[in-house]
Amino acid sequence: MVLNLTQVIGRRILQLIPVLVGVTLINFLLLNLLPGGTAVAILGASATSQEVTVLTKELGLNRPVMVRYWDWLWAAVHGNLGHSLLTQQSVASLLGQRVPVTAELLLLAFLIAFVLSIPLAVLSAWRPRGVVDRISNLLAMVGLSTPNFIVALVLVLVLAIHLRVLPSTGFQPLSAGLWPNVQTLIMPAVAMSLVLFATYLQVLRGDMVDQLAKEDYVVAVRARGVSTWRLLVQHVLRNSLFGIITVVGVNIGTLIGGTVIVESMFSIPGVGQLLVSSIFSRDAPVVEGVVVMMAIVVVMVNLVTDLLYAVLDPRVRYGATG
Amino acid sequence: MALQASDAVVPGLGLPSLRSRLRGLDLWVPAAVLAAMAVACFLVPLFGHVPGPNAGVLSQTRLPPLSRGHLLGTDTLGNDLLSRCLYGGQVSIEVGLGSVALGLMAGGVLGILAGYKGAIYDSSIMRLLDMILAFPPLVLALAVASYLGPNEQDVIFAIAFFTTPATARLARAQTLKLREREFIVAAELAGHKAWYILRRHVVPNVAPSLLTFGLTLVAVAMIIEAALDFLGLGIRPPEPSWGSMIASGQSYLSTSPWIVFVPTGFLFVTVTSLNLLGNALRTRWARS
Repeated sequence: MVLNLTQVIGRRILQLIPVLVGVTLINFLLLNLLPGGTAVAILGASATSQEVTVLTKELGLNRPVMVRYWDWLWAAVHGNLGHSLLTQQSVASLLGQRVPVTAELLLLAFLIAFVLSIPLAVLSAWRPRGVVDRISNLLAMVGLSTPNFIVALVLVLVLAIHLRVLPSTGFQPLSAGLWPNVQTLIMPAVAMSLVLFATYLQVLRGDMVDQLAKEDYVVAVRARGVSTWRLLVQHVLRNSLFGIITVVGVNIGTLIGGTVIVESMFSIPGVGQLLVSSIFSRDAPVVEGVVVMMAIVVVMVNLVTDLLYAVLDPRVRYGATG
Repeated sequence: MALQASDAVVPGLGLPSLRSRLRGLDLWVPAAVLAAMAVACFLVPLFGHVPGPNAGVLSQTRLPPLSRGHLLGTDTLGNDLLSRCLYGGQVSIEVGLGSVALGLMAGGVLGILAGYKGAIYDSSIMRLLDMILAFPPLVLALAVASYLGPNEQDVIFAIAFFTTPATARLARAQTLKLREREFIVAAELAGHKAWYILRRHVVPNVAPSLLTFGLTLVAVAMIIEAALDFLGLGIRPPEPSWGSMIASGQSYLSTSPWIVFVPTGFLFVTVTSLNLLGNALRTRWARS
């Protein structure tokens, strides 16, 4: 049985519901059942057991965990993720302030990775084992082995401390103008994009070399006298870019994890920095809200990339077994 | 470790001889670097004349590398950086190996079970693990570590929350492929019990690719550990660790960059060697 596109999409969205319930449940159980628990986390390890009992009751944490989960889920479905213990601000509005900043950072990182990896991959595939291919292979290896905070430190040392061309920390919103905004985001974005750059470079190059060697259409196009270069740019690259869509989905978790470190280092007021600061201030509702939001974003991005792939390539549309 | 395990499988798959496949510098250089790193971190502090990681003198703070008595210089408290890197390396290696060993065991069992038994085992185990995989690894480790506490054992558990589902996915995929192979079908037709087939045929054939994947995972685990320390949620000073050393040197980046870049070098060399070794082994398995 072959399904049409609307059925595929409808089916995947229905499958999403149990996944979202599962993800929120895991998040809730993980953060509520770990030894210590919220009350100890708020009071610190030196609190007496009496203080812990009082606070536990005050926060309603003495009720059964499934009851609390149900209450949380019910409120969350209605857009209420609780309130910060520190500022009393609602978690949803906190996220609303922070998400755009992180989204901009992520987009910039993706953009840098694409702009750098695509030409290098084409050049590498054009002359496999040539000079460019060897250099880009080395770059990819280094990129995959270097944690983002190390890249960030090197960038700060060179660009902010020695050359003094960029500010070492701080953030200017887009409303302060495009250039000041980009100036504060460019180093964190480059730090995060190195892993993406390395991954895309390897995947694209490998896929293009594969296509050149195996695909029938390559022989057909070549027979018409088209040069390797034009063949690569006009045909092979376009096909290979499909493959990248899946990689974007696979990478999104690591990338979101990267925002945690990079935003803290550069004092960028995004979601990652919110997570770290609320962990340190023992603000449990905010931690819960941020972690669950990040997991949901990962699930959604994976869904979108899967669907996009199905839209672009009819061969992967699900049959009855999907 | 990986090499011994691969030893056991070669006859079963009828591969080219082990000896011919273990040639090549791409395999031995990273393996030698890793061995040297392990010896340096675990044995040199025992037998060599290395100052204690916290034996610093305040009159000798921030000495550059190649200073007298301090080969790689000292940090802001006058502690010898080489010594701190070696002791810190013990933590990184233990956390990397520990969290991956846990992940390989738990993930291997779950993945093989899901792949071999199929049906309800498969769907329930894999759905659950996929949901855990939706949490970004560092975020999961951060959240868990913040509740558990800043000691080595808890950091290992926190990272194992990520290594387990990642391993299980690969173990399941490999088991599914094996299940179709003739020798497994033959063993089933011969009336062997599932337990026997798993132990005798499935586990030894899944193990090499899991261990190779494990090398890459150790690299990822070490980076997560360093990131946790860096954020102040893993191992904390004065106990030495690469991540916390990098973090504490950050404010002196302009005047004494070596405080940051000495531990960075240790981390980078170790992670790169793990990735290179994993690559070398993977291409060898792919060729066969």
